[in-house]
Amino acid sequence: MVSFGDPGMVLKAFFPTCCAAADSGLLVGRWVPEQSSAVVLAVVHFPFIPSQVKEFLAQVQQTSQVGVAVLGTWCHRRQEPEDNLGHFLEGLSAIFSHEPWLQLCREKGSTFWSCKATRWQGSTSPGAPSEDQVMIVFYDQRKVLLSQLHPPAILPDQETGDAAAGAVGLAAVFHTVARSEVLFRSDRFDEGPVRLSHWQSDGVEASILVELAKWASGPICLLLASLLSLVSAVSACWLFKLWPLPFIWSKLSTCEQLRYRLEQLTLIFSPQKAENPSQRMRKANMCVSVLLDVALGLTLLSWLHGKGRIEQLADALVPVADRVAEELQHLLQWLMGAPAGLKMNRALDQVLGRFFLYHIHLWISYIHLMSPFIERIVWHVGLSACLGLTVSLSILSDIIALLTFHIYCFYVYGARLYCLKICGLSSLWRLFRGKKWNVLRQRVDSCSYDLDQLFIGTLLFTILVFLLPTTALYYLVFTLLRLLVITVQGLIHLLVDLINSLPLYALGLRLCRPYRLAAGVKFRVLEQEAGRPLRLLMQINPLSYGRVVHTYRLPRYGCHPTHSWGSLCRKLFFGELIYPWRQREDKQD
Amino acid sequence: MSAQPGTSTEVKWQKVLYERQPFPDNYVDQRFLEELRKNVHARKYRFWAVVFESGVVVQQLCSVCVFVVIWWYMDEGLLAPHWLLGTGLASSLIGYILFDLIDGGEGRRKSGRTRWADLKSALVFITFTYGFSPILKTLTESVSTDTIYAMSVFMLLGHLVFFDYGANAAIVSSTLSLNMAIFASVCLASRLPRSLHAFIMVTFAIQIFALWPMLQKKLKAHTPCSYVGVTLLFAFSALGGLLSISLVGAVLFALLLVAISCLCPFYLIRLQLFKENIHGPWDEAEIKEDLSRFLN
Amino acid sequence: MENEQSFSDICGGRLALQRRYYSPSCREFCLSSPRLSLRSLTVVTSTVWLAAYGLFTVCENSVVLSAAIFITLLGLLGYLHFVKIDQETLLIIDSLGIQMTSSYASGKESTTFIEMDKVKDVIINEAIYMQKVIYYLCILLKDPVEPHEISQVVPVFQSAKPRLDCLIEVYRSCQEILAHQKAPSTSPQAHQKAPSTSPSIQKASIVSRGK
Repeated sequence: MVSFGDPGMVLKAFFPTCCAAADSGLLVGRWVPEQSSAVVLAVVHFPFIPSQVKEFLAQVQQTSQVGVAVLGTWCHRRQEPEDNLGHFLEGLSAIFSHEPWLQLCREKGSTFWSCKATRWQGSTSPGAPSEDQVMIVFYDQRKVLLSQLHPPAILPDQETGDAAAGAVGLAAVFHTVARSEVLFRSDRFDEGPVRLSHWQSDGVEASILVELAKWASGPICLLLASLLSLVSAVSACWLFKLWPLPFIWSKLSTCEQLRYRLEQLTLIFSPQKAENPSQRMRKANMCVSVLLDVALGLTLLSWLHGKGRIEQLADALVPVADRVAEELQHLLQWLMGAPAGLKMNRALDQVLGRFFLYHIHLWISYIHLMSPFIERIVWHVGLSACLGLTVSLSILSDIIALLTFHIYCFYVYGARLYCLKICGLSSLWRLFRGKKWNVLRQRVDSCSYDLDQLFIGTLLFTILVFLLPTTALYYLVFTLLRLLVITVQGLIHLLVDLINSLPLYALGLRLCRPYRLAAGVKFRVLEQEAGRPLRLLMQINPLSYGRVVHTYRLPRYGCHPTHSWGSLCRKLFFGELIYPWRQREDKQD
Repeated sequence: MSAQPGTSTEVKWQKVLYERQPFPDNYVDQRFLEELRKNVHARKYRFWAVVFESGVVVQQLCSVCVFVVIWWYMDEGLLAPHWLLGTGLASSLIGYILFDLIDGGEGRRKSGRTRWADLKSALVFITFTYGFSPILKTLTESVSTDTIYAMSVFMLLGHLVFFDYGANAAIVSSTLSLNMAIFASVCLASRLPRSLHAFIMVTFAIQIFALWPMLQKKLKAHTPCSYVGVTLLFAFSALGGLLSISLVGAVLFALLLVAISCLCPFYLIRLQLFKENIHGPWDEAEIKEDLSRFLN
Repeated sequence: MENEQSFSDICGGRLALQRRYYSPSCREFCLSSPRLSLRSLTVVTSTVWLAAYGLFTVCENSVVLSAAIFITLLGLLGYLHFVKIDQETLLIIDSLGIQMTSSYASGKESTTFIEMDKVKDVIINEAIYMQKVIYYLCILLKDPVEPHEISQVVPVFQSAKPRLDCLIEVYRSCQEILAHQKAPSTSPQAHQKAPSTSPSIQKASIVSRGK
């Protein structure tokens, strides 16, 4: 039980499960001395000519840059024990010298294997072979080949000799298997000089299609990329950069969305190849997100164009706007008549109410002026759904913003008035107490005022105090309406963001091929028998969904709520204007 | 480290902390109480001087009383606003001339204030009050009368509390006191029937709360005898005005005035005898020097 | 080689510790906590349903009842799938790594495997948990940049929370394997270092804020 070897570590033999049924032969793989582990990649069958095997291995080593060598022998006893085969296999160690020399053997009808690892040098008594303690780890070659470890340990673009030397631990195993893809190219029906047993892909026919697609994708990408560059060149034309236009573009979420999509498409169809797996994954995610978006948009389009829904929608739109205006009128009339027994100033109340009523009147006439064209507008907007659901959602958000423009106006008037009052009151309150704000020291100082200053200040203070409830009520009501609109817009933006940034391809991969995205590995101890080497099964531990989303989330275009609830409440209290998330972000930039 | 005074009789105790001494921490010797002093800052008052000084309080109380009485007359419609305006203007003019005559223009030269500035201030008062009077009229329409009364009483009390009677205390703030009085007058004026009433009421409030105390102060400083006369006259007129409204109120107000001007000074002097204020080395250190030069 | 022993957790509940010695270089410790008792399940369910029935008599809306059933079912599923951990397993394989598996009551398993060259040590630590001080077994991870620093502390048996006597058992076995691993690297000729018998309880004041 005690190892007499030079490295005291237990020798780990990584053996592919697909080779368990293979005929006897030679074990081909890579020896990782740091961890004293042997990664078996394939089995070479009899008969073979040793020089051809060596030549083949040298070829593989050159293309894959992995130190592939013959690690030992594999003996699968199907019939009666053949002693001569055993001796023959022993003899092979003289031809393919390797340190240590592995001897794996599978008995007929037994699930337990025997394994010997022999060292000829470095043992305590020179000359006599020493044996290492061995542990067999089974792995699924296909899964290990295709899976991608997270987080990537070391970028595999080191072009120095043995590239896998950088990777440590199990990453080295993964790396070895991934690098020796060349070895697996040859399939079962190939009649080469060397017969190999390893994992083989089944989908040869499908791969022809893939090859065709790959071949065709180059020119298509080139064509689309040139088209896209034309579009972006047009959008960058000076005509669109005249003064008021960039401001309007930045305020319309449709333009933002279109710009975002254009960037994505340019990236997808860019002719240069993705360098590393994460970039490839990002491209795929973008592609799937765009495709899903367009598919959803087309579904919406077909739904809209079926059974004259566009007409229905257009017919419903004007009455809805009318209805909203009417409700607002009722609200204003209620506000004008001392609601809830509040101590409102009647004169100011009437003035404000009439002002807002006049605005609504203007708005209604505007809507009625628009009503003949509404159907055509809706039709065109519906057409935009073929650019994707997100685009039409952004247009919807913009339309909501336009249709509730009167609410925005009311809110701005109310907020400005309220802000003025609050500011005036706060400074007049200081005057009332005989204090003033010292700008240089950023604090409140005492100050001696003149008699007329005091008198006018107090007069204004009294007036403002008694007028405050009226203004505050109007402000409160219109702020609530505004918040409602902002919430609806925010929900639409959230949905758009979700479609934009969700890594759908990665999530689908995780769902259907969990081994492709590996967080690590897990081991299962297989059945034991005393005196036989320990057998473990290495399985891929898939990445959790949360990590997948976190790792592969696409960049969003600035819709973070930059303000906390506290600062929002503060702003609301002091009557500062609040904007929906996106515009706030723009303001910061 | 218990101390043995017997063994170290020659070692004298010193009242210092920076030297190690063979005494317990709380040790003091007989000389300790020698430094005790009593009533260092106590002052001797003369009765009539205190009564004279209490005239300011009496004056202010009377001002408030006169203001309320006039407002009541206006609210009842017994007093024509034109008459009040005329009287107010006349008395203001007289007061303005007196203000300069008393000290022979000394104060004006010191402050460097021109007559043009006075005229400007007066114009500002009148224009703003006149301009705002329609707003004042509708300002408190929806607020109940009791609320307004409560607010006014509160503000006038505040005016009396914070008024600068000449005492050097932290609570005194002439600005706040004047502002509270103006607030109260605006509140009361807004209950009057017409906007002209409101305008005249606010003007009157400025005269009685802002201008009249300035004249008083000057009178008191330069001609004490006439000040006493004016105070008495003012007090009696306020009492008379109150009497025409309510007898009980007048009696109570008279009692209050008497208490403030005679009873309070009497008790101040009596209670001065019982003063037992001790000073000694145990007092916390007091910084006598003016340290304001270190502030900059 | 397999044996089972009974221990108690920090609250006095019963825990069963199964030890499986597959080979000198591979050991497994399996802590199973008692399964979900039918009684507590019944109590909770009937309480919720009675409350729902009470609400139903007040507002006479049958939506309340169906909502209560729905909520209890969903809650039970969520509890079994995300909260209730039946078994926690620690598998330690010489020169390969340490694997921690927690099996939920619904059968879901979550596994974490730590490679041996990232493991610095396995220790027993103290922590303040609610109002008491508890011991817990944890794995110290090496900092990839500075091998002498500790980058992370991974607690083991987080949901079972066994007492010190149980932890010492596991700790000793782990140390035996770790010592076997370390011995050749320090002195190639020393075959097997005597495993440290007394657990070095590291007095580190790591305050865990509840769970």
